[in-house]
Amino acid sequence: MPGNGTHAFTEPGDYEASLCGAKIDLVVTGRGRFKAVLTWAELRQLHLLCSQEDLASIAYVELPAHLAYVAFPTRFDPPPIWGGVKLRPGDIVFHSCGELMHHCSTGLSQKGFMSFTPERLAIWSYALAEEELVPPPSARIIRPSVPASARLLYLHAEASRLVEESPGIIAHPEVTRALEQELIHALIHCLAPDEDHAYKAFGRRNATVMARFEEALAAYADRSVHLPELCMEVGVSARTLRACCAEVLGMSPYRYLRLRQLKLARTALRNADPAAVSVEDIARRLGFGDPRRFTVMYRAAFGETPAATLRPQQSPGPLK
Amino acid sequence: MLATQRRRFHVRATRSRMLPLTCHQNKFFVGFYFGLGGLAGTLFTWDGVGVKPVRIASHHFSDPYQYEFTVRAANVRGFASDRGEFGADLLQIDFDRLWLQAGRESLPRSAHVTISPDRVPIFFLAELDEPAIQTGGIDLTSGVIALLSPGSSHFQRTKTPARWASMSLSPGALAATSSAIVGSEIKATEITKLFRPTDSAMTRLITLHREARRVAKGTSGMLRRPEIIRALESSLIHAMVSCLETGLSVEPKVGYRRQIAVMNRFEEVIENNPDRSLYLAEVCESVGASEKTLRRCCQEHLGMGPLRYLWLRRMHLARRALLRADPATATVTSVVTAQGFWELGRFSVAYRSLFGETPSESLRHSADERPAPRDPLALPEFA
Repeated sequence: MPGNGTHAFTEPGDYEASLCGAKIDLVVTGRGRFKAVLTWAELRQLHLLCSQEDLASIAYVELPAHLAYVAFPTRFDPPPIWGGVKLRPGDIVFHSCGELMHHCSTGLSQKGFMSFTPERLAIWSYALAEEELVPPPSARIIRPSVPASARLLYLHAEASRLVEESPGIIAHPEVTRALEQELIHALIHCLAPDEDHAYKAFGRRNATVMARFEEALAAYADRSVHLPELCMEVGVSARTLRACCAEVLGMSPYRYLRLRQLKLARTALRNADPAAVSVEDIARRLGFGDPRRFTVMYRAAFGETPAATLRPQQSPGPLK
Repeated sequence: MLATQRRRFHVRATRSRMLPLTCHQNKFFVGFYFGLGGLAGTLFTWDGVGVKPVRIASHHFSDPYQYEFTVRAANVRGFASDRGEFGADLLQIDFDRLWLQAGRESLPRSAHVTISPDRVPIFFLAELDEPAIQTGGIDLTSGVIALLSPGSSHFQRTKTPARWASMSLSPGALAATSSAIVGSEIKATEITKLFRPTDSAMTRLITLHREARRVAKGTSGMLRRPEIIRALESSLIHAMVSCLETGLSVEPKVGYRRQIAVMNRFEEVIENNPDRSLYLAEVCESVGASEKTLRRCCQEHLGMGPLRYLWLRRMHLARRALLRADPATATVTSVVTAQGFWELGRFSVAYRSLFGETPSESLRHSADERPAPRDPLALPEFA
């Protein structure tokens, strides 16, 4: 039974947890109240996802190895930077299976994802174009003809619109079928190599360095970490790491690291038992030496003090 | 599938009803019947001396479904490919061995035609200056006749209003009469073949066909006289055979057989899903032809790409469903979402420009004009 739905989130942690299939590590870089909306439609063989994040953020996307993904930004102001490349309207990213990529935006961002198995892709492309398409070894930007990409984006947007506005209509098996069949057709049109398609590969070097950087950050997640250590772990000079981070993340590795630690601190504070741990404990564990500075940075990033986060969000009913 | 069975039943039923009546009257019997599709008159004559009666039926249709189901010797399924009011006239004259039909359609049409396995028809333009009718991807121009193979199928399309003529014999009768007339047996071919007869043979065929139509429509009662029936039938058979005998066969283009195979599989997929919307991706998969191949074949045989064909088909399925539905229980939304349309606003605009009325008008009509929910594919009641 295909499942469809839409949900708004106000906490990045909840948002990440609900992105089944693809893993997204979201570091919010903008200030203000976080808000994100996810809309998903599971057709029979195609899964669609639409996401909107209201604040500037860096999403580190880890795609599952058994699925092929096609993704595209649907909003270009401010310009979305994926894997260090500024994407233009009409660009579609054809991901490799198990791809790792940073999606970076300096403001409101909207994007669409479509996922399917590589086997189905081979069948569809053979049926329509007599050529078996396989996911590329590493992500490629595809720039199909304007009508082809416009059609794909239109159908994708229609699916999200139906999920949000008329769930009864999209739940009809014939509508599901119609949408899916038209999407498959539009998808193959966009992906099939044709004379008017332009391709561009992402910089492999950036991608490798950044993937290793994220790996190192994850390894040091629960303790204090310093840049020289990270450079050793990644296996590049500090200069190279800075250049890669500037291109892909739009900020220095140090700033990214700090934002990431703040995010971890928030998760830890939200999950902690206020009776057992203090703000200082958590700050110290994550490498924030000065608790007062930590509070200032925390407040600037999330608009509330760490102590407010640590306090239970809702008191249990009977006590109130 | 179902369509063929229905028609066969229909043809038998008409004949069995006709014979006792004519025997009874001994001299002649004239009957007029009013059918749903328009006015249909049937004239029977019987002289009792070895000449079987001639059955004449003249119809006018405004419903394309009824028109298609009345055409004989072939199973026709198609739709108008242009907007406007549909109108068609069909004249059928059945001699003992020879069946003759003539048709006029007011709109360009695309149709899939399956020839009955027990008839060998020839098909040509009713007059010399008529615009071409495309048959199986080849332009049938004036001066050319198509010998249609029994049991075969092809797509036929017209780009303008069209007038066509056809005559058919059973395979046995064609073999027997051709060996008697020209000394060699003309056999039904495996695939449809086009012939270009000599000018004189072609002119004679067209003139005789026109004459037969005139006599059948007239009130002079000439078709009651056995000697006229006999003479007219044998002249028509003679003209048909000599056209086939003198005709140079027009060779099909390279790749024609492959195109026919693709189109037959295409139609098979459609036939297997009579009430279901179909989409290009799944059709390509079932047909085993790429979009490019299918587009080329459809352009040649249908005069439009597969996307437009499948879309038109969906629109017609939706219309049929609306006309069939009971307005007391069904809504436009429920009927058209079942055909996979999700943008109801867009659908209504397209529907209106195609059929000249809104979907809800169609739904209401099904109640106003036909008290019981009616199957628009039901047989026309003209006998």
